[in-house]
Amino acid sequence: MKKILVHLSIVLYLMLIAVTGVAIAYQTEASLTAAGKIYVSNVTYVPRVFFTDDVGTVTYEVANGDTDQGVVVNHATFSDTNIRLISGSYDSSSNIGPGRQSSAGTIPTIRTYTFSVIADATEGTYYPTFSLSFRDAEGLFYRGMVQVDNTPLVVTILSKPDAFTQGSKKTITVQVANPRKNDVKNVLLEVTGSSFDATPSETFIGSLASGAKTTADIAVTPYQPTTLGLTVNYDNGDNPHKVTMEFPIVFGPDKKQAEPIISNIQVKSTAGIYHITGDVTNAGLENANSVVVTSLLPAVPEDPYKSYVVGVLKPDDFGSFEVTFSTDNGATIPVQLSYKDVDGNVITSRQDVKISSNAVSSQTSDLPLLPIIAGIIIVGAFVGGWFFYLRKKK
Amino acid sequence: MKRSFTDLVLRPTAFFAGLMGEKESVKIPALILLVSGIIGAATAYVVSGPSAKMMAGLMPGIETIIIITAVPVALIGVYIFWVIWTGVFYGLSYLFKGNGTFKRTLEVVGYGSLPQILGSLITLVISMLYIPRVVAPQLTNAAAENPQMIQDAVNALKNNPAMMEYNQIVSIVSILFIVWSANYWIFGLKYARNISLRDAAVCVCVPVVGMILIVMYTLIVM
Repeated sequence: MKKILVHLSIVLYLMLIAVTGVAIAYQTEASLTAAGKIYVSNVTYVPRVFFTDDVGTVTYEVANGDTDQGVVVNHATFSDTNIRLISGSYDSSSNIGPGRQSSAGTIPTIRTYTFSVIADATEGTYYPTFSLSFRDAEGLFYRGMVQVDNTPLVVTILSKPDAFTQGSKKTITVQVANPRKNDVKNVLLEVTGSSFDATPSETFIGSLASGAKTTADIAVTPYQPTTLGLTVNYDNGDNPHKVTMEFPIVFGPDKKQAEPIISNIQVKSTAGIYHITGDVTNAGLENANSVVVTSLLPAVPEDPYKSYVVGVLKPDDFGSFEVTFSTDNGATIPVQLSYKDVDGNVITSRQDVKISSNAVSSQTSDLPLLPIIAGIIIVGAFVGGWFFYLRKKK
Repeated sequence: MKRSFTDLVLRPTAFFAGLMGEKESVKIPALILLVSGIIGAATAYVVSGPSAKMMAGLMPGIETIIIITAVPVALIGVYIFWVIWTGVFYGLSYLFKGNGTFKRTLEVVGYGSLPQILGSLITLVISMLYIPRVVAPQLTNAAAENPQMIQDAVNALKNNPAMMEYNQIVSIVSILFIVWSANYWIFGLKYARNISLRDAAVCVCVPVVGMILIVMYTLIVM
């Protein structure tokens, strides 16, 4: 009878193996000791800190500190309600072999388990569970911390000109800072918008470490008041994110710019050609390069000084000029001053010069006195001469 | 003809007295005025340049029309003024009981216009010096519908400093040479109309001074 029972139990055991396919563990003192030396040596989240809805990976490094005996792992999985697993568990058996002894000490054997996860959670700190099931022992449960933080990169205008002027190139300096607890990569600063030229339109910054900041200079030439868009694209792990800011470009006077002013004006007219002489003084705070003075319509520039190049004028410096022109309309003539700033932008200004009161009065009064006097003398001589001639003949 | 132009210039009394003994002929006076007219036409060609340029944008071809018109008008104008001056002198001398033919008066006035040749030459030289400096405003098609624009452009041309100086100088030159001619006209009229020198002087001086006053008035109001 006893023999029959032994055979029956063997048959049942084999049937159980056949049905479940799982060998029943043989928990021994040694296997329990070996399982006790299995530990999670490192956990790596990529990205290290998630945004909400970011997809990433978590890698667990499981080490076997026992140099004598390996362990067989039946099952490895990751579980949490907020940081959800989107890849499968490790369901097949695997072996973590024994570590080895070296002169430096015990070198454990490490096996990694990687899971894909999604941060289906709001901002906060979470503790997902990693679990291992050993064939010959109980399981291993490990809870590691991971954070979800939605703080984006910060874009700021570090420096900008006092004012923009039409067609004038000005440089703005943009700072991109990373206030997050993890590094971001593939940071790309992009300029968007219309009615201006921006150089460069894209700036590749690359990786930006946690707490780090970097700057980028952008030369902007606006053609009308507009809004300049700054977009910073970056990857948190493999998840693309972006942050944008708008920078209004408003035209206005540049408080520091060079300001050439004409003074000490003298107007002369010779045979229909007007000569305007005077001084140009730079009343601004920056250099005025290549200052050129010329007359505008209705004046028609004439030789020898159709235009007069004064040259460089430093702040508070002055230079003399002379322009020559003819005009059909002897009232007020616009005189154009043009100069270049440090970027080579040509800036022009106009100043009206009265020529009627100066030039005409200096040459002739309202009445053409000279020809009238000459005419009177001629008539007087003619009539008087004949009068005396006739009287003498009498 | 025994008398020369030197006699006319230096001894006008003798010249015209001798002329009375000859047959009336206006051939030589007409030639004198032709020379003066040709030079005057050349001057008109130069002077009409700015006006033609100003009007060029107003109508295609008007530039050529202005210049082509100005030249014959200047040439013919000399003869028209010859007749007008003669008519005035003839009419005024009639008040002093003058009795000579119109043709004879025409003849002496023609001879008396000899200084106008020199006057025309000087005017031509002045024109060639001054007119190129005149910058004429350009009229466009739009001006055709706006007479004010044309008026403004004409005023601008007149008020151009170079044009103003030119007008003043030319006026003085013309006054000077008219007076020179007037002296000959007085002597010539005396014999042509058989009146006293005093009466002839009155007949010539009144219209000549009147014309000079008109020229000076034009200068003032311009």
